[in-house]
Amino acid sequence: MKKIFVIIVSFLMLTAGCRKNITDLNVDPKNPSTAPSRAFFTNAQHTLMNTLASSNVNLNIFRLIVQYWQETTYTDEANYDLGTRSINDAVWNALYRDVLRDFQEAKNLIPTDVADATVQKNQIAISDIMQVVTWYYLITTYGNIPYSDALDITKTFPKYDDAKTIYNDLLTRLDADIASLNTSSGSFGTADVIYAGNVAAWKKFANSFKLKMGMTIADDDEVKAKTVVEAAVAAGVFTSNSDNAVFQYLSTPPNTNPIWVDLVQSGRKDFIASEAIIDEMKSLNDPRIDDYFTKDAAGGYSGAEAGAGGNYATFSKPHDAILAPDFPASLLDYSEVEFYLAEARERGYSVGGTAQQHYNNAITASIIDWGGTTAEATSYLGQPSVNYATAAGTYKQKIGIQKWIALYNRGWEAWIDWRRLDYPQLVPGALALSDIPLRYPYPVNEQNVNGANYEAAAAAIGGDLVETRLWWDKF
Amino acid sequence: MKSCISLAALLLLFSNLIFSQSRRVSGQVKDERSQGIPFASINETNTKNGVTADATGNFTLTINGNQLTISAAGFQTQTITVSGETANVTLVSSGQLQEVVVTSLGIRRTRNQVPYAAQQINGEEVSKNRGSNFVSNLSGKISGVDIKQTNTLGGSTNVVIRGYKSIIFDNQALFVIDGVPFNNGNTVGINTNTANQRTGRGGFDYGNAAADINPDDIETITVLKGAAASALYGSQGANGVILVTTKHGSKGLGITVNSGVSFGAIDKSTFAKYQHEYGAGYFPSVRYEDPNTGLPYGFANGFFLWRDIDGDGQNDYVVPMSEDASYGAKFDPNLMVYQWDAFDPSSPNAGKARPWVASAHDPTTFFEKPVSYNQSIFVNGGSDKGTFKLGYTRIGDKGILPNSEVNKNLVNLASTLNLTDKLTAGAALDFSNIVGKGRYGTGYDDKNMMTNFRQWWEVNVDVKEQEDAYFRNRQNVTWNWTDPTILVPIYWDNVYFSRYENYESDNRNRYFGNINLNYKATDWLNILGRVSLDSYDELQEERQAVGSVTTSSYSRFNRSYRETNYDLLLTFNKKLSKDFDLKGLLGTNIRRQHTSTIRAITNGGLIVPKVYALSNSLNTPNAPVEFDGIREVDGVFAGATLSWKDMLTLDGTIRRDASSTLPKDSNVYYYPSVSAGFVFSKLLTSASWLTYGKLRANYAQVGNDAPIFSVYDVYAVVPPFGGEPQSSVTGTKNSTSLKPERTRSEEVGLEAAFLKNRVGIDFSYYWSRSFDQILPVIVSTATGYNSKFLNAATVDNQGVELQVSVTPIKKKDFSWDMIVNWSRNRNKVMELFEGSENIVLATFQGGVSLNATLNQPFGTIRGKNFVFDSASGLPLVSATGRYLQSVTSNEVIGDPNPDWVGGINNILKYKNFSLSFLVDMRHGGDVFSLDMYYGLATGLYPETAGNNDLGNPSRNPLSQGGGIVLPGISVVDGKPNTVRALNGFGAYGYLRNPAAAFVYDASYIKLREAILSYSIPKETIAKLKPFKGIDLSLIGRNLWIIHKNLPYADPEETISAGNLQGYQGGAYPSVRSFAINAKLRF
Repeated sequence: MKKIFVIIVSFLMLTAGCRKNITDLNVDPKNPSTAPSRAFFTNAQHTLMNTLASSNVNLNIFRLIVQYWQETTYTDEANYDLGTRSINDAVWNALYRDVLRDFQEAKNLIPTDVADATVQKNQIAISDIMQVVTWYYLITTYGNIPYSDALDITKTFPKYDDAKTIYNDLLTRLDADIASLNTSSGSFGTADVIYAGNVAAWKKFANSFKLKMGMTIADDDEVKAKTVVEAAVAAGVFTSNSDNAVFQYLSTPPNTNPIWVDLVQSGRKDFIASEAIIDEMKSLNDPRIDDYFTKDAAGGYSGAEAGAGGNYATFSKPHDAILAPDFPASLLDYSEVEFYLAEARERGYSVGGTAQQHYNNAITASIIDWGGTTAEATSYLGQPSVNYATAAGTYKQKIGIQKWIALYNRGWEAWIDWRRLDYPQLVPGALALSDIPLRYPYPVNEQNVNGANYEAAAAAIGGDLVETRLWWDKF
Repeated sequence: MKSCISLAALLLLFSNLIFSQSRRVSGQVKDERSQGIPFASINETNTKNGVTADATGNFTLTINGNQLTISAAGFQTQTITVSGETANVTLVSSGQLQEVVVTSLGIRRTRNQVPYAAQQINGEEVSKNRGSNFVSNLSGKISGVDIKQTNTLGGSTNVVIRGYKSIIFDNQALFVIDGVPFNNGNTVGINTNTANQRTGRGGFDYGNAAADINPDDIETITVLKGAAASALYGSQGANGVILVTTKHGSKGLGITVNSGVSFGAIDKSTFAKYQHEYGAGYFPSVRYEDPNTGLPYGFANGFFLWRDIDGDGQNDYVVPMSEDASYGAKFDPNLMVYQWDAFDPSSPNAGKARPWVASAHDPTTFFEKPVSYNQSIFVNGGSDKGTFKLGYTRIGDKGILPNSEVNKNLVNLASTLNLTDKLTAGAALDFSNIVGKGRYGTGYDDKNMMTNFRQWWEVNVDVKEQEDAYFRNRQNVTWNWTDPTILVPIYWDNVYFSRYENYESDNRNRYFGNINLNYKATDWLNILGRVSLDSYDELQEERQAVGSVTTSSYSRFNRSYRETNYDLLLTFNKKLSKDFDLKGLLGTNIRRQHTSTIRAITNGGLIVPKVYALSNSLNTPNAPVEFDGIREVDGVFAGATLSWKDMLTLDGTIRRDASSTLPKDSNVYYYPSVSAGFVFSKLLTSASWLTYGKLRANYAQVGNDAPIFSVYDVYAVVPPFGGEPQSSVTGTKNSTSLKPERTRSEEVGLEAAFLKNRVGIDFSYYWSRSFDQILPVIVSTATGYNSKFLNAATVDNQGVELQVSVTPIKKKDFSWDMIVNWSRNRNKVMELFEGSENIVLATFQGGVSLNATLNQPFGTIRGKNFVFDSASGLPLVSATGRYLQSVTSNEVIGDPNPDWVGGINNILKYKNFSLSFLVDMRHGGDVFSLDMYYGLATGLYPETAGNNDLGNPSRNPLSQGGGIVLPGISVVDGKPNTVRALNGFGAYGYLRNPAAAFVYDASYIKLREAILSYSIPKETIAKLKPFKGIDLSLIGRNLWIIHKNLPYADPEETISAGNLQGYQGGAYPSVRSFAINAKLRF
């Protein structure tokens, strides 16, 4: 009997004696707990550009909405079916979780892993500029969104803030960022794929983006818009295509342009040209048509009716150059800036030049950027249908149509300007489930996990519908 | 540390070997079937000197005289005279029901002493139907167990006992073989399938690893349903335990040989039926040139491409081959059109037009009629020195899809050696080798032809012709060319090309074994030391051939799993007095699970076709994804069972676990349980109608740890951009403040037998509350995360289980036994974190999600709903004649939990014939069908064609009297809808209808199995030396779906095992199979 107790006790003691800290087993040996701040910056910049450039039907269908492209067989997206593929969720997730959060992490880590104080300051300012850019896309897509509570995991149910209030705060942030950029010092170096760390270029970009933000709200708040735009222009905006904010993709996956992934690598044949842009360009003898599209089966240019589908072989398709794996993606370009300036002049802002000069500059910059020549531009602008003095319609119509053509392949931008300028006049898809969206509905995930705040936000903007106009979209 | 403990255990055992005693008798008490009778009482006749036998009937007793009286509940008492030192006794049954039940940690108890629900069945029950997966063979045979198997070859089986308790993580029962946990998949216990596979986004179902268990090696299966029964297993047992006791050697030599073959075919009621009136097209969505007017399709006769194919200068009709739907031109045998085969130069039909008719061979012809075999040999034997068993089983299963097979080689080896009278050494080793090739693709994927056949198909395509086209040159000659001028597949590969070129292959080698030393220290104390290993390595390789629609690729996934358990178990078994009997146990268990995986894939395509190697990657492959994790749980436990007069039993257990996956200051948790059993029939001996009666009640608490690596945050490393490093914050926020999750459960039960066991019932009511549940709750991504780990939820489950056994007829030559299992479980989400009202479990294609919604049953399906008329409750129809849809997508549109499940098993015996059949039922529970969502939209099914209420073809344009009137209330005037809507693409399917339209009732009644067997009479056998027995069986499985409400599919079909149930997409038909088997015993 005693012997048995000895056995038991000695065993238990042995067990206890062998004990070590088992909690250490819970440290993941395959993933790091630290990483350099620049790695988050590069990743966030890359992801933002992927989101803007993508043509994936699960993420970015703006080329379809603004009728640059159409779909062949599966026409759901061209008819505004956002729900089946949860597109409104995907955009939201990409921008909040994959872009804003990683820029935030870069900002959090820079003070601890960047030695030079000025470089630190520049890096934080540039990261914040990129965040402002990202917020701009969110807010012009959804309206009221979580902002003051956002990017904070302790706030599991982030409340939605008023879009206009957020927008003004973004402008304040942008000013602060511009002020803190020190052009005599460096920033991210090659970790910055857009400007290779050139602070002066970032300063110009920030002012140009400020111009864009100012113009976006011009219909809603003329006073504010004027102040913002004039200040931006005074501080110096893009003056040539060499200023363009361009993300240069690489030629091998996974770092290629996402269009190549969607259209070439996948082997899919989902997209053809849209009748709307083809007909417009044809009627204007636009020299960019052979840069934008391939010839159709009959040797000319043709596009499919909106939302009606079409045979792949029959119609023109996006041009091969756009499908190259290393085709660059544009974040903001000189042409766009000049269109804003033309518009600003029409609105009477003091930004120098005439509306016609800026209009001509914008179109010329676009033609050249797409591989055309000055001669082509001159001859194009010489046509009465294009000439600013003689082209049909109001300034909104003239600028609207030409900017829509110039923004080709940048569907998201075109969608913002289309809602603002209300030109070109697009006809909804043949089997449209709704009007052409004026905003995206909030994600289904928000309905499911952030229900009360979702309901409040939906009520505040006048209903969570694609037809609800955002505050700056007055007409 | 581990080696430290095991060494200690073994040393201690060896150092205490020698006890010298004199005048000792040892032996075994057995029943008529040569099975040891546990806990039989052995007394020296007419003295107080006695012992209780151990769990296998073995005993040792020191005596002075030469007579022993042996008694055991359920057996006639016997007195024998002992000469020598060995006394083996065979007791004769007293005719009373007196099962022995294997319970936790392999402890055998008489039924009287089991104070919780534990249902036991014989191994024969799961092996006799010769199905290769014993888990699915359990379906309908045990109450309270919900078993769902996918219809894929070698696919997963979902085994949930008493409902879903854990919201996100594993609810699968623990499998234990001879006391050793048998891993059923990955560390979360489901299977190795990817998250994409489990949410219907493509991938292969590799099945779960419990399928490695050899059905022929099973002696008994006990299902421990409640927490009280399984508390000693720690967190692993929280979801119930399926205890498998394998066959063991007994004295003498026995050889059993089984040889069987089976034939299968799909059950056509679980596959699509097609309309035969209209061919390829997307009317009115996709418009083509009209041959006569030039107007686009939809306005006139523009269903075809209009091209000059034969070069005669006249345009010809060409099928719009790129259009994978059947809302096209009405079939007309007089109309000559060019189809895909006209553009296949090797086709006999090359360059030829053919009549426009529905295909002669629809996709039903794609399914093969597989032949499978199953052979096994078991040899067992034993002597005074020990026992051994050696078995080898070979199972080859072919699937219903071309080029699919899973082959299993299973070896079972076990042996014990009696080193001394007191010390027994044992070793067991099971080896299994599973080789799969061409498993079925699942979900929404081009490698799952069901996506093609059920959702996107042209009914003019002849599958047989596709087969011929592929085999002529083994090229991807598809029906789905982009265009007559662009002969590459646009969306779908030739289905045969896909099966033969884009196939997966996999293999798993597994070693499962243990070594143990059992030391019988005294008559009443037994010490067992055991080290066990469950070790397997698997390789899964997936291929996408050059020339497929999808980018060519090769991927490989290597996984190795090692689970080591170190156990020391002391059991006491002492008769305290004449009436009191005490059993006790004390033990430690250290469990260490090590999983490491690596997944690598080529980048951007393959260079050389048909070479499947990472080095054949077009671009440099991205770094492989690695996982390497160890979980260790250290437990100590104790238990005691006190019984009085074999009538009252009180049982208490406690276990303490410390887990490596929880934060250091909260990684310890306890599992207390108390149970009581009262055999009241002992007090009612005068009631002759009552054979047996027992009441039982218990309470238990169990805990669970966190998933591995959910405490500390890490970053994700993203492949670099050129030379620039990239990193990302991971989608899940971990938590250093997690505490163990807990389940509290209560159970009461009644067991009774009447009329000399002709009628028996076993009833349980249980309630359980799982709280502080650890899960990564899906949050608003505006937080910058997808999810964060929290102790986030409370879920209640309550239910009843009933088992009724009846023997309506019991004659000398004829008997009929019937066993009915019935259970119902109700669950409800009681509480969620921080005021949350809903937790999303997963989102699916089709705009639906599965959720844990506050105050709702677990797993509700949410999505867009109809808008209902408040007065009539009918759906509202718009002014254009289409259903209105809710604005939001978060309406609850279905509940996947069944109202009840049940099974009726009948066994009829006449002389040497036996017929058994099992009817399996499930009532209620919803399923969302992506197949109907898309397949109705694309016009595949008969209900999308035919005539409308006016007697006109409903697909006619409205101007020609076509169109459909949807039943409902018009939003315009509040009266029944009369507006005719165009019947074109989407009219019945997803585009124009809310997700709620595709939620179906998943009830079924199935004739699951029927077995007719014949045993050659003993007299004949006696002449047929060396045979001891010959049994011949005819077996049918999944013979008949007697009732179901889900059209064109098997309501039981599911994408994978796990918590995500109630969703079908690309569903496989069920397979009806017939087998013949011969069982020979030597």
